[in-house]
Amino acid sequence: MSRFGFRLEPRSNLPKWLPWAVPVGSFLAALLVGAIVLFATGQNALSVYGRILDRAFLSEGAFTGTLISATPLLFTGLCAAVAFRIGFFNIGGEGQFVMGAIFGSGIALKLGADAPGILSVSAMVIFGAIGGGLWGLIPGILKAKFRTNEIITSLMLNYVAIVIATYLIFDSNSFWRELTGSGVVFPKGKILPTGSWWPNLDFGSIIVPFGFVLGMVIAGWLYVLQRKTRFGFEMRVVGGAPTTARYAGMKPARIVVAVAALSGALAGLGGAADIGNFRHVLDPKGLQQSGFGYAGIVVAALARLNPVAVVFVAVLLGGITNAGYALRGPDFPSGLVGVLQGLILFCTLGGEVLARYRITRSGRTPVGASVLEAS
Amino acid sequence: MVSQPSNTRRRLRFAGVAAVAVLAVVSLVATACSKSSSSGSSGGTVKAAWIYVGPVNDGGWTQAHDAGRKYVETKLGSKVKTTYKENVPEGPEVAQVINDLIKDGNTVIFATSYGFKDAMQAAATANPKVKFEMATGDSITLGQKVASNYNEFYGAGEDSLYITGIAAGKATKNNSIGVSAPFAIPEVIRGINAFTLGAQSVNPAAKVNVVWTKTWFDPAVERKSAESLVAAGADVIFSHQDSPSAGEVAKAKNLPWFGYDSDQSGPYSSVWQTAGTYNWGPFELSELNKVIDGTWKQNNYYGTIADNFAGLAPYGSTVAAATKTLMDAEITKAKAGKADAFGWYWGLADRQDQDGKTVITKGQTLTMKDLYTMSYFVKGTTGSPKG
Repeated sequence: MSRFGFRLEPRSNLPKWLPWAVPVGSFLAALLVGAIVLFATGQNALSVYGRILDRAFLSEGAFTGTLISATPLLFTGLCAAVAFRIGFFNIGGEGQFVMGAIFGSGIALKLGADAPGILSVSAMVIFGAIGGGLWGLIPGILKAKFRTNEIITSLMLNYVAIVIATYLIFDSNSFWRELTGSGVVFPKGKILPTGSWWPNLDFGSIIVPFGFVLGMVIAGWLYVLQRKTRFGFEMRVVGGAPTTARYAGMKPARIVVAVAALSGALAGLGGAADIGNFRHVLDPKGLQQSGFGYAGIVVAALARLNPVAVVFVAVLLGGITNAGYALRGPDFPSGLVGVLQGLILFCTLGGEVLARYRITRSGRTPVGASVLEAS
Repeated sequence: MVSQPSNTRRRLRFAGVAAVAVLAVVSLVATACSKSSSSGSSGGTVKAAWIYVGPVNDGGWTQAHDAGRKYVETKLGSKVKTTYKENVPEGPEVAQVINDLIKDGNTVIFATSYGFKDAMQAAATANPKVKFEMATGDSITLGQKVASNYNEFYGAGEDSLYITGIAAGKATKNNSIGVSAPFAIPEVIRGINAFTLGAQSVNPAAKVNVVWTKTWFDPAVERKSAESLVAAGADVIFSHQDSPSAGEVAKAKNLPWFGYDSDQSGPYSSVWQTAGTYNWGPFELSELNKVIDGTWKQNNYYGTIADNFAGLAPYGSTVAAATKTLMDAEITKAKAGKADAFGWYWGLADRQDQDGKTVITKGQTLTMKDLYTMSYFVKGTTGSPKG
């Protein structure tokens, strides 16, 4: 641990300003390092940052685009946040998202064009959650019953889910697949009946997708669930001290299974929202390319697993993603966009560590010594 | 004891520094913003943008498209200002990318992957002053309603593959040709049919064995499928995907190999034969010229070898001289313009599908719709056209 001459020590008392100053400081640090990278690659850092701000939030229609990018991230972020909170490392948001998309689009197609919109949309919400929830349940049960490592099982199920979606559209004449018109030319899914398209709330300059509103409401509900209910209390105990939980008469296995299903359901809802609000078709290639499930883990980490913070982080990352497309061009390879996005994440997550731990020279302070003395 | 006041001082100093830094960044960004948003009219220059599904250096599809963009830039010089967006996913993001490009003042937008089609059509309706060019689109051919500022273009890759097939028919010794194919869609199916007919035109006993990889780009899967073809007895390999990894297998076994999309001979020159290629530049140039002249109209273009849209990569050194002569003769035929736009070879004889049912009669010319909905394999092909 002290091989390098430095050591991380938990901070004993966190000053009130620290939790706020650290993310802001990390973000500024990222911008600074990013500016150096941009300068080294012959870019004007100021105009690049200006363009990010402009195309993510300020210019006409930009915020609407940002919310479109943020909506799936919001759900997959909540998916990871809820599961990680109890120490259940669900990496399967990706697959649960896809299953939600499959179930959600399936029910919308089944109900058809004649079903009233409110019925189709609510059915999509429910079926999306069921699809993702069932998929999340698998690693949950495996973990609870057989102590299988959920990181492996949930990750592997991502591949299975995308293979299922690919099978439905590319390799079979399934119910989801369009077999007429241009569907004959290239395999694609049936377009959902317009009645089942999720509404958008139009505030003039900003259009808010219904999926985003739903995500915000759910984030609020999760916050209350975690802070104010018995189940939430049990979640926290199981997450913090599983042995204590067992002594206290709680059933950690049951809670793991419940949270796994809840976590999967959240990602599944995201899949339904993505299809209902934006895509309107089951598109395995597009879903695979987007990688929302994995990005959700980053969202959750940046939000410190706080459901309400997930909303804001999703918007921030959605904005950066959205602006990333504006930046790309002949003089701006997409890899450089990735570098900038990566720097922001790296600095913010690194800052998190510094907020909770302090770096000390090893040898100067024996382990367990008072932190005050050392300073 | 001492630490209390010094901590406070440090805190204050930190707060001060942070405040200054925040102010500095905000004000700088704000000024940069006001500068960057002042783009717009460009004084006689057409601004054109390309949307790519992959990276510009993918060695295949997207790279060929970017070559087209560069070609346009060289030919038009200061009359055009081009840009591109690479690695754009096929999904809701495309609409945002198109909006961004329009905001940047682009008035012609080329999209180069089928999955961008719906977003392009929606954007065309919403932005009547911008021209939308959709490569590989099929909506106009299939009679779907699209806005008049939306166009689709593609070309007869199958014509190149017919000529490629001639070389394969000549190269095989045991009459077994292996094809590693991406997806069972009409575009690929008609290409394989043309390839098979080309092979059979010089070697009636030639059989074509098709395996599907269900991917356009996955070097490991492509290599495996080539290996399975060799194991099944093929002594000539044609890989229809983007990567040259089947070439590795061919090289190891010293079997003649055909690639796709671009000249992939590189390290595989000992086995390289040729490949069907697309030449996007000239068409895109003519479209931009029409935009500059104000004569642009929707034209649902389907390029051929005659207008240099479809072509062949340079022949490999192991292609026999007599075979080259045969292929060149077909190219001359195609270039003479006498050749039917939709393949001069389809109706040379009665053509049967795998079950022996006649699907094309002698003398028949195919329509574009026939090509765009082709879902059968011609006789002499093993493998399912359903994937």
